Amino acid sequence: MTDMLLSLGQNRVARNLVARAKLPIPLPQRLDRIEGGSVERPLEGKTVLVAGAGALGEPLARTLARAGAEPWLRSEAQLAAFAGPGEAYARPSKLIGAEPEAGQTVNAIVVDATGFELHADLKLLWQIYNPWLKALAQNGRSLILARPPESARRADQAAVRAALDGFNRSLAKEIGGKGATANLVYVDDGAEERLSAVVRFLLSKPSAFITAQPVRVSAQARWDGEDPWTQPLARKVALVTGAGRGIGEATARVLAAEGAHVVCLDRPEDDAALSLVARDVGGSLLLCDVAAEDAPAKIAAYLTEKHGGVDIVVHNAGVTRDRTLARMSERLWDQVLEINLGAILSITSRLLQGPLRDGGRIVSLSSIGGIAGNTGQTNYAASKAGLIGMTRKLASDLAPRAITVNAVAPGFIETRMTAAVPAVVREVGRRLSALGQGGQPEDVARAIAFLSSPGSAGVTGGVLRVCGGAFLGA
Amino acid sequence: MASKNGFKPAKGRRAVVVGGVRTPFCKAFTELTELDTIALGSAAVAGLLKQLELPARELDAVVWGGVVLPPLSVNIGREIVLELKLPAAVEAMTVTRACASGLQAITTAAAAIERGDADVVIAGGSDSTSNAPIAFPPKVVQKLGPLVLGGKGTPADYFGALAQLMPLADILPRVPKIAERTTGEVMGEAAERMAKRNEISRAAQDEFAARSHHRAARAIASGRFDREVSKVEAPGGWVHADNLVRADTSMEKLAKLKPVFAPDGTITAGSASPLTDGAAATLLMSEEKARALGLTPLAALRSWSYVGVDPADQLLIGPALCMPEALDKAGMKLADIDFVDLHEAFAAQVLSVIKALASPAFARERLGRSEAVGEIDVARLNVHGGSIAIGHPFAATGARMVTTMANELALSGKSTALLGICAAGGLGAAAVMERV
Repeated sequence: MTDMLLSLGQNRVARNLVARAKLPIPLPQRLDRIEGGSVERPLEGKTVLVAGAGALGEPLARTLARAGAEPWLRSEAQLAAFAGPGEAYARPSKLIGAEPEAGQTVNAIVVDATGFELHADLKLLWQIYNPWLKALAQNGRSLILARPPESARRADQAAVRAALDGFNRSLAKEIGGKGATANLVYVDDGAEERLSAVVRFLLSKPSAFITAQPVRVSAQARWDGEDPWTQPLARKVALVTGAGRGIGEATARVLAAEGAHVVCLDRPEDDAALSLVARDVGGSLLLCDVAAEDAPAKIAAYLTEKHGGVDIVVHNAGVTRDRTLARMSERLWDQVLEINLGAILSITSRLLQGPLRDGGRIVSLSSIGGIAGNTGQTNYAASKAGLIGMTRKLASDLAPRAITVNAVAPGFIETRMTAAVPAVVREVGRRLSALGQGGQPEDVARAIAFLSSPGSAGVTGGVLRVCGGAFLGA
Repeated sequence: MASKNGFKPAKGRRAVVVGGVRTPFCKAFTELTELDTIALGSAAVAGLLKQLELPARELDAVVWGGVVLPPLSVNIGREIVLELKLPAAVEAMTVTRACASGLQAITTAAAAIERGDADVVIAGGSDSTSNAPIAFPPKVVQKLGPLVLGGKGTPADYFGALAQLMPLADILPRVPKIAERTTGEVMGEAAERMAKRNEISRAAQDEFAARSHHRAARAIASGRFDREVSKVEAPGGWVHADNLVRADTSMEKLAKLKPVFAPDGTITAGSASPLTDGAAATLLMSEEKARALGLTPLAALRSWSYVGVDPADQLLIGPALCMPEALDKAGMKLADIDFVDLHEAFAAQVLSVIKALASPAFARERLGRSEAVGEIDVARLNVHGGSIAIGHPFAATGARMVTTMANELALSGKSTALLGICAAGGLGAAAVMERV
């Protein structure tokens, strides 16, 4: 389904007209996405303004230099951390002024707020963003790095840390019009080395539809330090359920592009579509109804026999059977709870008894509906919220095995399912978000690929929203 | 070729360099214009055989490097053998690895000797920019080719085909341009970006370039190159000497030149290697064979290494990665090396490589080692100048460097030399030579 405003926004004349006439039409900015897999230098030539001097200067400097970014620094105190990496990758940093020069644009603003202690420290945000926001490029990025409020020792410290969340969410809405995103990363003490993959992801194109989110990076899961920048999923076996179309298909394609062998699973009646996907991605085909009683055993046996196990499990298969609760039949209730929750619980439990290898990754598709609730979706929201509970518990249970468990909550994504929604509802779904547009299945797939990568070991037990900053269910 | 294991000679055989000869290196479209790459190669090989008084029957093979290859006789190594009327049994091949082609020819020959496949091999390379084929665009070739090559076209067919070849811009012959196929960037533009990113100043480049000229001029004046350069007969007369080296250049003169690749750039014609015609040949043998023939081995290749980097990043930084690798394979440190010889594509590129090698951060991040590879003192770097002053016939450069270093080791009595060459496509080449 084409998004008319998005297309109109590409037309310079139309854009100018709308702006000049001050028409109340938000013309969304087309998001920058990548083709294929991760590249060696995801931030090649991007200018990144780094402000704030906290504990993360060095890991940040290393990641930015290697990623090909040009660091712009606000204070001389930061120079030491950036000097070495700048020399190693020939990306010398430069000191910039308090305000941008005429015509100067910056691709990303990164604030290391780990040193924030008092509420007055928050003033730095104003000092940086107030002058520099006008210089932020289209499809730009804002990233704030901080310590989590939960680990604060004092109330004022906790307040400062939590304040960043509100700031970030508001900022996301203010810059969404130019296709720019704003995210916040809470880094635990001792998880600094796990920051690199998260920073790369949130500053580069694959995170185009993720904005206004706080992401927690912890040292909870065991990690051997592996963090390949390209082909991160090489030699991994990934199971994607519901891979025949939509988000599942996009996930199969992206995981394969990142190097994984993808076992594409869908219902036997979707044989035709699934075969095409499996063939395209050079993966294998597993026809199976996830809700069938023998599904867990069948899947486990297949993975063990054909591939000697599995490294990545993406629980994507799901259905909606919307009806207000008073009108909902028992069948509709059961179907949704069985497919969306029961099947996932039993398949996961069976895979944990052997096929899922240590260092593995489990990603479940939750939903904004599961977080916010929706009229007519009691069954669906229950199943999707249930997955979040499962995710949290498994994350702590499996941390010693170096397995991470996460959920992804898509917002309005342009799929066959949303194309069938009435036009007005669809329009509202698209526009009520910071980025003012729907996402692509691929945007969700990129988030899943990130959470499936060895380098994402710091992220576990969380729900990553891929929603364009949807106003719903924040 | 880039064996990750250390160097282990097969059954103790060691390949040694017993000599090397090159033609004068001349600015493209000057004295050597009328000699193509095969003629230049033949001149160098003939000069080498003559100087060492080696009977041609002792020769097993020729391994020749070339970058701009004549389209209809690509195996120029074999053409040289046939043109010189060497015994037909002397087999020959042609290798290409951009500006590292000459070194590639030599390491290929050394490997063959050490493997026991050959005893006596001539290895070198040549290039004639003056004879670079001017290519017609594929569109022209595809339309006219069938008529020309098929030989059955009527005049009407020709006009019909020509009529399809508009607009004119599409069918004009393309000037050969040393641009990267993947990035579309001319090498000088890539070097310009390297200069900026590695913070190499214009003054440092000019100083480096001036030194290259002064050292090369001194080597020529002192007769140091006499045994390495052999006169060549061209249709216009005998060519005796290099014609690019400027003894009278200075930082002040170089400072007056305008940047060539970017208006605000730092690279000028004076700090870049010029387009050059020339050839260089070396003679390699197994050590026993050399002694049996009564020839004096000058040097051996203790190790070598080739690497690739992303052309879109720092196109010419390769040597900073493969020189440490070659040192490792040789079981040596930079401090153990007496002479360092770096191909000077651009002063900015050499200075970038030197800066990286001296950087502890580079060592840590890019090489995974705790200490910097080391500083390179100018006293032991490019002691007789380099490609900026002498010139750079692409595939000849590696053989020129091996020859000069082999002689330098023998003359000075010092023990080791480290070579580094950057090449198009993001390639890097390095070798450690030791005196025999």
